[in-house]
Amino acid sequence: MAALGKTVQPTSSSEALSRARQRAALVPDCLVEARRVSNSVIAGWHGRRRRGIGENFWQFRPYAPGESLSRIDWRRSARDDHTYLRDREWEAAHTLWLWADASASMMFKSDLGQVSKESRALVVVLALAEILSRSGERIAYPGAMEPVAARNAAERLAGALVLAPPSTALPDLTRITARNDIVVVSDFLDPPEDVLAMLAPLAKRGIRGHVLEVCDPVEEIFPYAGRTEFVDPETGGKLTLGRAETAGEEYRNAYLARREVLGGALRRLGWSFTTHRTDRPASEALVALHMHLSGMPATTLARAG
Amino acid sequence: MLGLPLAFSAPLVLFGLLALPVIWWLLRLTPPRPQAEIFPPLKILARVMKREETPSKSPWWLTILRLAIAGFIILALADPILNPRENSISTEGPLLIVMDNGWATAADWDDRAAVASQLITEAEEREIPVSLVFTADASHDANPRSAAQALERLQAASALPQHGDRARALAAVADALGDATPGTLVILSDGVTSDAEETDRLSQQLGATDAASVLLFEDGPDAVALVDAENGADAFVVEAERPVGAGAVSYSFNAHDIQGRAIAEGSIDFADGETTGTGSIRAPFELRNDFARFAIPGIRSAGSAYLLDDSFRRRRVALLSGASADLAQPLLAPLYYIERALEPFADIVRPRDPELSVAIPELIETNPSVIVMADIGTLPDDVYGPLTEWVEDGGLLLRFAGPRLAGADENDPLIPVTLRQGERALGGALSWTEPQNLAPYPDQGPFAGMPPPENIVVNRQVLAQPSPELSANTWASLEDGTPLVTTRQIGEGRTVLFHVTAEATWSNLPISGDFVEMLRRTVMLSSAGGQPAGGSAGEAASLPPYRLLDAAGQLVAPSGEARPLVLSNEAPTVSPENPPGLYGTEDGFIALNLMDGRDALEPVAWPDAVSATRTGYGTDNAVSLRPHLFTAAMILLLVDSAIVLFMAGFARRLRIGSPALGRTAAGMVAIFAVSLALTPDASAQTDDTRAGDDVILEQLNTTRIGYVLTGEDEVDRISERGLAGLAEFLAYRTSLEPGAPAGLDIETDQLAFFPLIYWPVSATAPMPSAQAISRIDAYMKAGGTVLFDTRDQFSGLGNAASPETDRLRAIMADLDIPPLEPVPEDHVLTKAFYLLPDFPGRYRGGEMWIEQLPQAGETRTMTSADGVTSVIITGNDLAGAWAIDTNGVPIYPTVPADPAQREFAYRTGVNIMMYMLTGNYKTDQVHVPALLERLGQ
Repeated sequence: MAALGKTVQPTSSSEALSRARQRAALVPDCLVEARRVSNSVIAGWHGRRRRGIGENFWQFRPYAPGESLSRIDWRRSARDDHTYLRDREWEAAHTLWLWADASASMMFKSDLGQVSKESRALVVVLALAEILSRSGERIAYPGAMEPVAARNAAERLAGALVLAPPSTALPDLTRITARNDIVVVSDFLDPPEDVLAMLAPLAKRGIRGHVLEVCDPVEEIFPYAGRTEFVDPETGGKLTLGRAETAGEEYRNAYLARREVLGGALRRLGWSFTTHRTDRPASEALVALHMHLSGMPATTLARAG
Repeated sequence: MLGLPLAFSAPLVLFGLLALPVIWWLLRLTPPRPQAEIFPPLKILARVMKREETPSKSPWWLTILRLAIAGFIILALADPILNPRENSISTEGPLLIVMDNGWATAADWDDRAAVASQLITEAEEREIPVSLVFTADASHDANPRSAAQALERLQAASALPQHGDRARALAAVADALGDATPGTLVILSDGVTSDAEETDRLSQQLGATDAASVLLFEDGPDAVALVDAENGADAFVVEAERPVGAGAVSYSFNAHDIQGRAIAEGSIDFADGETTGTGSIRAPFELRNDFARFAIPGIRSAGSAYLLDDSFRRRRVALLSGASADLAQPLLAPLYYIERALEPFADIVRPRDPELSVAIPELIETNPSVIVMADIGTLPDDVYGPLTEWVEDGGLLLRFAGPRLAGADENDPLIPVTLRQGERALGGALSWTEPQNLAPYPDQGPFAGMPPPENIVVNRQVLAQPSPELSANTWASLEDGTPLVTTRQIGEGRTVLFHVTAEATWSNLPISGDFVEMLRRTVMLSSAGGQPAGGSAGEAASLPPYRLLDAAGQLVAPSGEARPLVLSNEAPTVSPENPPGLYGTEDGFIALNLMDGRDALEPVAWPDAVSATRTGYGTDNAVSLRPHLFTAAMILLLVDSAIVLFMAGFARRLRIGSPALGRTAAGMVAIFAVSLALTPDASAQTDDTRAGDDVILEQLNTTRIGYVLTGEDEVDRISERGLAGLAEFLAYRTSLEPGAPAGLDIETDQLAFFPLIYWPVSATAPMPSAQAISRIDAYMKAGGTVLFDTRDQFSGLGNAASPETDRLRAIMADLDIPPLEPVPEDHVLTKAFYLLPDFPGRYRGGEMWIEQLPQAGETRTMTSADGVTSVIITGNDLAGAWAIDTNGVPIYPTVPADPAQREFAYRTGVNIMMYMLTGNYKTDQVHVPALLERLGQ
């Protein structure tokens, strides 16, 4: 009987070039998929929800002395005895850093999942790039692409990813400045302390973060039974269980506990934490992320993931 | 081994069992291979699982199961044999097999062949040449051959309906072997001989053999053979032989007629200790005369069948006449009718010497069953003696009256009744009496059961003196009670007198059918004669084989090896050239039986001097256990695989992973099981489609009108377009929607699918062949209708027939066509759909001819196709009027150009088609008012 899960790509890090090529081959597909997914989400982007420099109407407000006369909206003022100004919504460009984990543990796809975790992570990242670039944000990818403001940021990001060396760990994040947003997509299978040790400094610098955990269904429901030898794709470590089904309950508890710890800690930092299974459509994850990005009330959505 | 009759062909392999402990140790050490799974969150899992669970040992029962598999395989490789044959063949020289294939081997030939095949196979394994001879074969080829060739010969051989000749076969083996050292001599005997001296010869030959060992297979001498049958006075007595006088046994046996039907049954009883048994079938002699073969059912052997031939039925009949045969007028010769009547079932013997005193002893010499004397009054004195003696020994003297007898001495002892002098004339100018008819035959006597005579008139007869026993001795009499046929028992024989002449002068009896039957029955009363006295036959006659007895005791058609049976003075004997059977022709044959009465069955007394190992056939049941052991190992292996799958969590995983998958698997297993169970049935459904079936189905799906392809394109095109136009009209006007017209090549095409075939007669087209016309004839007889259209209504000037009409006549000359008539006014064609006064086509005015209807008063016989006419002939060019082009526009104008005429032409076509399809339904409609009236409405 075939194994339930399989690595979608060879895990040997020594063949970096060929792996990069394979990954590069994956990117255009992900880009197309990202386009498709983002088209269903694009309508939800709202502005900064505050008065400022922008193109869209925000509010009429009574003229206060001292303000520039040129901002008076004469058409509105002619309706009654007051004088009004037309305020526009602030639409300042924002820099968003996107990062998808490409470690060996992400190169995994089981029979129950639709795609590999890495593929799903790439799709989500590229789709976000597409959506955000359309709304004028600056998109960056640590280690691959400097912040750019372009309509075709998704393509450019894809191109940069094709050329970029595969990164297994979170790259240098010191260039991310305050008031920037960062989207981190990974499976976070490392101990939550390690992850938090990596992300907490960012939060301290005032960077808003959005974390998406991508997991394969078998990792969550553990459908194994019988005598099974488990192999870690990253370390190559092996573990043989005589009757795998007996370990299922404990494993599930441990897995979910890890998630709770991570999610709770991130939310305390003010970051959003969303989980996504690869047997669900990518647009679900995208919508959830987009909600957080567009500043929907954190109280309603923070727990939704 | 362990008291079991078990042996191993390769016992050394059993040392492999020593490896079992090693296997056990290895199996205990090696756990089942785990299912490998890649699992990224291994760290989490590892944290959860404190200890690494690795069962280093398989369960003990699994180990035992695997050990059993290994053990079975090792045992199977050692090739154990249950009930092994103790005596195997010697390898010192060729294997010599002398195999009986005589008549007694037919019943259990397969067993014998199996034993021989086993021996040959053994020889093949040891690479010994084999010399195989069959004792009953015509020639013995005893040269040692390879075992494969011997096996082929064995498979080709079968039991023969012959006596085996073991001595000859043994001699052939000895000859073929020459000086070579023989190995094992195997004798597969049937244990029966009919030759008392065979034992001596066998002991001589077997004593001389220097074979390394002698194996003698012999089965219990339970053979039984029918050796003789005799048609007695009131019963058929059958004699049977068996070789050993064992306990009292009774066999039922059947009498079959020439067609093989069992028509009577009897039983043969062997008394305790007796080797000869008899059985009898009591049956009327008519039935007995139908016997052709006796057989013991259930014993398939040529010995258990006994053939009968004409010698049991045919009597030798000597004819004597008082009148010198006047060959110039054979119809008036007294013996002419007797001879003609007796010839089919009797051998006729005529005296060479007209002098009675010489002729009668000479005839008696030939041992006839019947002597017929036609109008012999007084016999020479010196003849009475031998003749009376012959009658008393069982002869039948059949006499006919005549002028001489009427004037003979009234005290002739060989006349059944006392006769009055002179004859009695019935009718005639000076007599008041009328010629007398024959009275119905009495219930007693041989003529009982014959139909009452009709139109047999006796004008003249000799009269018997009344006596008390006269009526008892009368077989037939006239209506006034005077006897016509009288008889009297003399010793074992009988004399019979017909009171009329043997020719037609006194009565018309000799020229009636009753005469033949009366003579036949009379002659059948006589006992069958013996062999003809020698010397009379000039040259040796030979009879071709007619039906031969096969080894199973069945009569079969002669095979190529049988030669004609040469008749000589000696009784024919069975030989390979003359297998037992019937020789001759259907009309007359003689039977050559495997056994004749002289044969006595004896068991073969094998000389004691020979130190042979004796075995029966049935005891050798060596069974190789090898396949069974392999099967067991295979099954255990499957069980093991299932267990391993189960332990690896296959079933559970199926359940967890996808319930639908589990159901699918279960369903597939069920389907597999069901398909296994149904496989023989499925394969029994053979495909019975044939080439051309699709064409036939296509033609049957739609009604199509056929037309004959004349070979002239223009004519065929008009036919096609015309019928297309008619089809369109039909589809528009009626519920009939015909398919496209079908052009028919009447030489080859199947015509039966078309209700109507339109045949435009063209004088310039090639004449159809006689075969095609006969096909048309068959089509018309089977209910089809041909519409001949000569299209010459206006072409003929005067009364001269047009060329088309001539052609039509030529075609119809070969057709079997009833009388024709123009369509009558009230014919159903005038009202089948439309009411039509006439039947125009492009032309108007020509008559349409159909089969003549039964005239008024003539009973309407049942005819095929409801009496629908099988031929319609018109000259109006119907197709020309119907023809339309692809736009639906008529192609040809009518003559005269009248749209109404075209409409009527179409209506003619509609009526014809309706008439074709509904028959005389419309004429039956005229009875509807009467029927309704009768129903009271």
